[in-house]
Formats: sequence, structure tokens, C-alpha cells
Amino acid sequence: MACMNEEGQWIVLMGLLVAVGIFFLALIINQSALVGQTTAEGVLEFPKNDIRDLREAVFDYVRDYEDLLSHGYDDDVKDDIIAISLERKNAVVNFKVDPKVEISGRNLHPVEIRYNNGVTKYDERVYY
Amino acid sequence: MVSEEGQLYTMEGVAAGIIMLLAAYIAVSTTGIYTTGDTHIPDMQLEQLGSDVLAMMDTPDTAGDSKSDLENFVNTNNGDEFKKMFLSYCNATTSGDLDNLHMSAVVVYRSGGEIREHQFVAPDDNTWTGRENAVRVTRWVQLPSGYHGIPGMDTSRPQAVLVEVLLWRA
Repeated sequence: MACMNEEGQWIVLMGLLVAVGIFFLALIINQSALVGQTTAEGVLEFPKNDIRDLREAVFDYVRDYEDLLSHGYDDDVKDDIIAISLERKNAVVNFKVDPKVEISGRNLHPVEIRYNNGVTKYDERVYY
Repeated sequence: MVSEEGQLYTMEGVAAGIIMLLAAYIAVSTTGIYTTGDTHIPDMQLEQLGSDVLAMMDTPDTAGDSKSDLENFVNTNNGDEFKKMFLSYCNATTSGDLDNLHMSAVVVYRSGGEIREHQFVAPDDNTWTGRENAVRVTRWVQLPSGYHGIPGMDTSRPQAVLVEVLLWRA
């Protein structure tokens, strides 16, 4: 430290500290562009619309079930849904429609819906 | 005794090293530009929009109607009208030109043990999407027997077919 003016060392050090602080704030602003990425990826990954769509298809099937059954087409439509789901949506699905039972004064079909795409598994038992 | 001379020089050296490392880090990190397209947020929104539009088109207009617009379009293989209605439902502009959305669609059906595709709506020329990703939305449609329209489909039995729409912004 000889021949050196030591006054102002603290000022230099504090200046460095402030510079580092500003740098970290800049990093945080930089990362703000990523906000929502994980959420969006989670939403895209979760097959919400696929499951809703499958339920809709099964309910349409159940609506026409008596008609399909009387003509012997019930397995054809069911096989369509199972085979196309596997081929195009990479999902193993199945569903089962039982004869009508009385529920709260109404005659409804007990329906079992199963969906599994390897990541998300969904099972439902519903009266329709 | 350790000599204390050169303490400040050491500190200065360490500080200079950190600054140089940070400068190098900043210089390298500026070469990658992160846009909103990379975060998949617009993809998520576009997928929801497309699903909602298909659900809307699959709803009959009035309580008495047994068939929805979507079912009628598939039944009669009317891809042009399907495209027109789909894009106008997707549209978010209030006047002037339609939104800059583009689409193609296929109808997937089972024929025996085979899954086949029918090109329902062909993609237009403007297939350049830049950094935006395309999304796929689907909807099941159940067709009665005795329809005609989609070539190659077995008309003797009722079927469940899958309408797949590929949607992108360009």
C-alpha cells in the first residue's frame, strides 16, 4: 500500500457493490420473459380437451345406444373410438355401458369411462 | 508474518476477474433472444381457442336440431364451408380483414382394422409460421349409417370419426 492514497477505498468498494446489485436486478428482469412457461407447458401437457371430447363422444354413443344395439352396431362405433384414440391420440381408452337402472326416479345407463395416455389417467363412473 | 502489502492489488484483481466473467456471460447470453413464442403461452391460448370453436360448431343451433354444423359439414364432405366457419369463429378482429390464422384439417376414420385419413381442408400456400408453433385440436363426430360424402368410408354402418384441425398463426 505504499505510495498509494488509501482515501476513497470504501467509495470504490460500495460502487462495486451497487454495480453487482444492479446486475442482479437486470437478471431478474431478464428472467421475467419466462413467466408462464411452466404453466403453459403444464396446460398443454394435460389432456383436458381430449378427456372432455371423449366424454362427449361416449355420451353421444349412449344417447344412440338402444338404436345401435338393436342394429348390432354398438361394437363398431365403440371400436372406432378405441382404435382412433390409440392411433391418433396415443391414449388407451375404454368405456362400458350397462343396462338402465333407476336413479332418483329416472332410468339411466351406468357408464364407465377409462382414459390413460401414459401421463394422465382418468376414470369415471357416471349415469347418463 | 505475512506482509500486508498488495492487499488492495489482490482485491482489485478479484474484482476485475468477476467483472470480466460477467462481461463474457452477458456477451454470450445476448446471442439468444427469448421470445414469447418460445414459452408456449400463445400455443396454449391457440389450442384452447381451437377446441372452443370446434365445440361451438358441434353444438346444434336450436334445441330441435339433431345435427350440428360440424356433423353436417363432415357428412357432406364440405371442407370449404367448414374452413370458412371455423376461421370466422376464431376471428378476433372487429372489422376489416380476418385474423392471421391458417388451418388444415383431416377426418380420421376406421375401415376394418385400418385407420385412414381423409384430407378435409387442404392447407393454403401461406404455411410459413416463423417462430410460432402449430397446434392440433380434435373433435369426435358420430355419423349415422347411409350418409355419403367422404370417399372410401363404409356407409353401411354408423361410425365415430375424429376431426383433426391443425391451426397456426402466420
